[in-house]
Amino acid sequence: MKKIFILISIATLFMACESSENEKDLQRIVFDAGDLKFISTSMNTTQGTSSALYGNQKALTSLQEEKSLPLKGSILKLVTWKYHDNPQYIGGTITGELLSIETLESDKNGNINYQLKDDSKTKYNSVNKDNRIKYIMSYKPVTRP
Amino acid sequence: MTTIKKKSYPIAIIFLISLGIFVGLQFFNEPLKGESVTKPIEAPREVISILENSCFNCHSNQQNLNWYDKIAPISWAVNKDVKRAKEVLNFSEWNYSAGEHQGKMYAILNMMQSGKMPLPEYTILHPSAKITPKDVEVIRKYTLSLSSISSNKKVEKEISKSVETKKSNDTPVSPNGVKYTDDYKNWKVISMSTLFDHSLRVIYGNDIAVKAIENEDFHPWPDGSVVVKSVWKQEKLADGEIRAGEFVNAQFMVKDSKKYTDTEGWGFAKFSGNDLHPTGKTESFARESCIACHHQLAEKTGYLFDVPMKLNTEKLLKTLQK
Repeated sequence: MKKIFILISIATLFMACESSENEKDLQRIVFDAGDLKFISTSMNTTQGTSSALYGNQKALTSLQEEKSLPLKGSILKLVTWKYHDNPQYIGGTITGELLSIETLESDKNGNINYQLKDDSKTKYNSVNKDNRIKYIMSYKPVTRP
Repeated sequence: MTTIKKKSYPIAIIFLISLGIFVGLQFFNEPLKGESVTKPIEAPREVISILENSCFNCHSNQQNLNWYDKIAPISWAVNKDVKRAKEVLNFSEWNYSAGEHQGKMYAILNMMQSGKMPLPEYTILHPSAKITPKDVEVIRKYTLSLSSISSNKKVEKEISKSVETKKSNDTPVSPNGVKYTDDYKNWKVISMSTLFDHSLRVIYGNDIAVKAIENEDFHPWPDGSVVVKSVWKQEKLADGEIRAGEFVNAQFMVKDSKKYTDTEGWGFAKFSGNDLHPTGKTESFARESCIACHHQLAEKTGYLFDVPMKLNTEKLLKTLQK
């Protein structure tokens, strides 16, 4: 009995260490879109997610012209985050965990490539590519004077 | 006997000097000027009752101070606090639209919920002004009930404003000297947020600000940090997804510790509508309308709301970016 108790204690201690180690790894990260610029944003209250759409000039033109497929040379990135109630202000929400990055590209010959990267815990794993391309192309660039 | 007499002399002298100083101080005791109630706040009786009990002594023209609050040197501190409190919020001069009233109520709710108001140093001397969890709940229920009332009216107002105006060639400048710049459109997005007013917000940071976030360099933020919050109205699609609709404003925070000494080193600015008209009539507008909430509620993150949450790992970011 005593041995079991000691074993459980040691196991708990290891688990505690692991959890504090994970917490120690947590950071405030900022997504680096490289040369791509912010184009648009959305929020899905059912899934509790918020997304930012980035792209190059060709991608921007594609969306401005409401194309169903990106123009040759376009690169688009849809970055999706989970959002939370703002811990610093009741009445607000703010983005939290990074969930996925979807990339939609059209090469110089117009070949379309769609790629999804996620933490494998999200539901996008069995994603329908055509639907996602259609979805990304549904964004309108935000208006800013 | 002689020894006792010798000892009591200095004590008596100290007492008399102290009494003299204390009486003297009262000649420099200027009582608070009585100001009239021009437009009192309107809210349900139970809400007003809480505000009267816990807030009115500083945040209104209806002070009901204790006798010891009126005696120098305590009165000096009290008068200074009352003056500052009324600059930020005055329940006797409530000249606000429904949308502004809602915003003020959210600020009050946040201050009460976080225990920042009434000031703990005030409730030590005035225990009856303490806020109970039940009081906070009353304020919360009332504040949340305001959402649907004010949002429609606010939308109408914003639409009429944006129709009237167009962006001119002059660079808009806030009364405190913060200049509008389009540069933020090329900066990194640090976070995205929403607020009770049905707005969608994207927050951008310049390179100095992004570095400060990644290193948690918040106390203080390095000079030269600039954070811009772009605000739009929410537009709901048929499937319920929310997109950014009409542009509302761009809110700037520029860190310059030498220039903006009375707002924790941050220069605040808000440029609204398509003409990007700056908010504020005087240089000190942010002292009255911005810093109070930022100071009390966002101290942990260097007076900035909407700093990315500490919930991700560099490893995950690298994996997803591969």
